Amino acid sequence: MKETLNKLLKIDRRWLFLLLTFSILIPIIKPIGISSKSISSGVQDTYNFIEKLPEGSTIILSMDYDPSTAPELHPQSAAILKHAFKKNLKVIIMTFLAGSGGLIDEHIRNIPQQYGKEYGKDYVVLPYMPNVLAALTQMSSDIYAIYDKDKDDKILKNFEMMKKIKNYKDISAVIDITGTALLDSWIVFVGDKYGVPVMGGVTAISQVGYGPYLQKKQLKGLIGGMKGAAEYERLISEPGKGTSGIDALNIAHLLVILFIIFSNIVLLILKLS
Amino acid sequence: MNLIKKHIPLAIVFVFGIMTLASYYVPHRKSENYLEWINIWQNIVAAFALFLGAISLFYAHYKKIERKVDGWGYSLFVYFGFLVIMVAAIVSDGKISDNGKITFLGWSFNNIYNPLSATMFSVLAFFIISTAYRSFRIKSFPAFLLFIAGLVLMLGNIPLGEIIWDKLFAWTNTTIADIKNWIISVPSTAGKRGIMIGIAIGAAVTSLKIIFGIERGYMGKD
Repeated sequence: MKETLNKLLKIDRRWLFLLLTFSILIPIIKPIGISSKSISSGVQDTYNFIEKLPEGSTIILSMDYDPSTAPELHPQSAAILKHAFKKNLKVIIMTFLAGSGGLIDEHIRNIPQQYGKEYGKDYVVLPYMPNVLAALTQMSSDIYAIYDKDKDDKILKNFEMMKKIKNYKDISAVIDITGTALLDSWIVFVGDKYGVPVMGGVTAISQVGYGPYLQKKQLKGLIGGMKGAAEYERLISEPGKGTSGIDALNIAHLLVILFIIFSNIVLLILKLS
Repeated sequence: MNLIKKHIPLAIVFVFGIMTLASYYVPHRKSENYLEWINIWQNIVAAFALFLGAISLFYAHYKKIERKVDGWGYSLFVYFGFLVIMVAAIVSDGKISDNGKITFLGWSFNNIYNPLSATMFSVLAFFIISTAYRSFRIKSFPAFLLFIAGLVLMLGNIPLGEIIWDKLFAWTNTTIADIKNWIISVPSTAGKRGIMIGIAIGAAVTSLKIIFGIERGYMGKD
């Protein structure tokens, strides 16, 4: 008995890997369809804020993530973009991460057409900018001093939707979807200093760290992980990858919990015997 | 020599440090103009830093290949990857898509960078599952508290967690979301706020030490 339990504790990790692989693969191939019953307060706050913006308002959607965190964050930015287009808001899409270019491109190839939105009239995409603080500070006085052209090298000022935009005073909200600490910079250098409402979308693991900003309302709303994305998709009635990915997340999380409990029970039995 | 290597850099740091710090608190046109000017300079310096970083990276990997250190073969992929993406970017004029059509750069992003980057991050899940089983031992009270907090956050992060909680603990009249929110907004926020205040004070002190020339590590050794 003792020997078997010891063997169980020292099981080859490849068996665990195999189990995890199947627990993620099976729900993807055959979805179970367990969806969230409640909506997190951070997600609801973000939705409410965007919902209340008047038609024609301009928002900034900063997509500061690369493919590594895309499974959690890409559905979030897609949901925000869909919501903004549904509400007829103008969207400035930008990034401070070089690796996000392809992800932004994926969105603008698929989403605007579904809502009949035109480039330059309803949305623009700014090019990648490496120096975050310089760009954030500069945009407070004159956006065009740092972003004179869009991602395709066209003069930014000439686009229809940009004619009424000069600096943060003309921006109704900023939503930063990120797997990095860039949301902190948006809060400190844009939200706190210039009074622009800032909301965020982060990975589930980073969500916990934003408590202080949420409590002081420096952050108006926060979408956390794939669950947050699924909740937002539910609010806008547009099921997407957040909703379809939640099954795999369910099983994988449960597996981690079961493994911790099981291994500790085995350890306890060994100790007692 | 001392003037060029020591006094001038110290003077530059002092003058620009004080002026930039002051401009943050001065809501005047001249102050805004100064910040705009500094931002342009920052971008120029950042571009040079990127260039230097690339040279340093190539040199480090060249040395690995030259000395045939363990895993030197992987260093070849640094050059290979750089070359492929560089060629793709030049051929595609830096565009991911053109008139809705995916360019060579877009193809490289979708089929090389995207899966590689996602794979690297996904490996974490396997390490987590292995660590959860083999290393997470509840041997003390703090470890038990950590387990409970982790358990609540994990259950709170998945819809299945809500269902399990409601089945087992509906009699408590509390939802898993309520407990998760309490953990985030009370103990976690208290800890995080303490860390943030500590970091901010540390950063302010270090910045002042640099501005006043007490901390000179950035100037190198000689």
